[in-house]
Amino acid sequence: MVSKTFTLTNKMGFHMRPAQVFVTAMAKYASEITINFGGKDISGKSIMTIMAACMKCGSEITVTCNGADEEAMLNEAASLIESGFGEE
Amino acid sequence: MLQGIGASQGYGIGKAVIIEDINLDYSAVKYTTAQEEKARLAKAVEAFTVETRAMAEGLKASAGEKEAEILEGHLTMLADPFMLSQMNDKIDGGAVAEAAVDDVCTMFYDMFAGVDDEMMRQRASDVKDIRDSMIRILLGVKSIDIASVPKGTVLIAKDFTPSMTSQINKENVSAIVTEVGGVTSHSAILARAMGIPAALSVINATQIIETGSTLIVDGFKGKVFTQPSEAEIAEYTGKQKAYLDEKEGLMVYFNKPTVTKSGVKKAVYGNIGKAEDAQNVIQNGGEGIGLFRTEFLFMDRDHAPTEEEQFEAYSTVAKAMDGKEVIIRTLDIGGDKAIDYLKIEKEENPFLGFRAIRFCLKNTELYKKQIRALLRAAYFGDIKIMLPLVTSLDEVHAAKALINECAAELESEGLHYRMAPLGVMIETPSAALISDLLAKEAAFFSIGTNDLTGYTMAVDRGNANVSHLYDTFQPAVLRAIEMTIKNAKAAGIPVGMCGEAAADERLIPKLVAWGLDEFSVTPSSILQTRRNICECE
Repeated sequence: MVSKTFTLTNKMGFHMRPAQVFVTAMAKYASEITINFGGKDISGKSIMTIMAACMKCGSEITVTCNGADEEAMLNEAASLIESGFGEE
Repeated sequence: MLQGIGASQGYGIGKAVIIEDINLDYSAVKYTTAQEEKARLAKAVEAFTVETRAMAEGLKASAGEKEAEILEGHLTMLADPFMLSQMNDKIDGGAVAEAAVDDVCTMFYDMFAGVDDEMMRQRASDVKDIRDSMIRILLGVKSIDIASVPKGTVLIAKDFTPSMTSQINKENVSAIVTEVGGVTSHSAILARAMGIPAALSVINATQIIETGSTLIVDGFKGKVFTQPSEAEIAEYTGKQKAYLDEKEGLMVYFNKPTVTKSGVKKAVYGNIGKAEDAQNVIQNGGEGIGLFRTEFLFMDRDHAPTEEEQFEAYSTVAKAMDGKEVIIRTLDIGGDKAIDYLKIEKEENPFLGFRAIRFCLKNTELYKKQIRALLRAAYFGDIKIMLPLVTSLDEVHAAKALINECAAELESEGLHYRMAPLGVMIETPSAALISDLLAKEAAFFSIGTNDLTGYTMAVDRGNANVSHLYDTFQPAVLRAIEMTIKNAKAAGIPVGMCGEAAADERLIPKLVAWGLDEFSVTPSSILQTRRNICECE
């Protein structure tokens, strides 16, 4: 199991488009992914729960990956989040 | 005549087609086996995907990429493995496929609808749309064929969902009437994007109006004429033609830069009073917002808006304008405006009294909330702060100090913010007279001609005995404007105008000649103003 903590930097936070980009990327991996935000665990493969969690710019989140390809998964998750999902 | 809200400009004359709600009652559906229900669900998801993808393509062609994104979002949402597994769990628990869809969608609907965020509420209506489509597909009910209504149809429905609007053929639909929704509802945005006149929130429209009857829809005033007379039809046919001719002539200017004949770049902005009006500016081709009057946020309530509420409003506008300039005027109120909770005393001379910047600098607790909200919202776009009713340099210094104080607070609290440039509204003769000095302190000027005319001419425009003196063309007012523009130019700062005069075709050539950079007008006058500027030397 590997995990890393981030602060969301794109202006709109985890809204529709970033959530869409994120879950599409994560679906490739066999490992499980959870996002801990405000004490709650959210599935990183579910766009609905990600959007419902309302993670905004400045929110601190911890991403945990667990499974065979956990390292690669966390790396890709990190690059997406750190690049602000290609948004400002 | 029925009265609703004018949500999309234009006049439509045609025959009514009423879109009835489809019956989505699935109580008669019997549970077979879990395997069978899951297979039905999977088949319905597949059908939904094919149908929605086709609708998204159609919408891309009729209304543009952006509008189609909503439907593409529906596809991703229904493809959510968590959502599907929840539905399958419900089926394992003994629910028919319809009930599984209903329960899971309703759960997400409640989740989204409960969040105090406009974008999340939009997601709630998306989930409802998905639910309705899925249950309709599962029940095998044919959707109403909106796509094939004959030419000259006025569509009437309780409300239009994205999947319904996507089928509208703008060639055949002359107007839209709904029972719910306002200017920012999905139906309104789509109607405007497609250029179809719309009257929304027409109470009981689907019951009062009969299918096949002739209607006139006034999308400006939100009026629907049932059983119009020959004379009314003739009148509105004329209005429609005049409007379309004018619009066609002006549409040429929609994507055109505002440049004079000699090649000088100008900008036409829009004036707004509410966050949602930003859409009107965009729809009319505005290059920014030159005046966001924040008073409306403070009116019709029993306490001042919180910092969060203000942040929400300002950042909504900043995001909507997508990097374009947004000039926000800080609270401009006085004893003449009834905001009871501010407890401003009734004054003998409210226009010369305790108002606008004067009031705000004495009520710093209230003012700082607004400034903090503005600086935080500035993180999301190009927000500029504008001070109303400035008459002295001291006021600008004091406001600057407060802004720096707020920025320091936000910094230490670790909140995202950006320093918003501070400009001065020139609307008093004193400000015009010291505009050379103010130009050294301000990042920009915006000339407020309505008050500048009143204060310069010392006239109350509401007093019939003297109102003839209220005239922006009086040499005194013109000199004040010219002086302000010249002083801004000398100091190298941009200067705009946000009063009614900015849209006055008789004045525009003078303003252009003096060097005014930005003209901020009522959204519906943007294209006309751009045309008038482009025709200047």
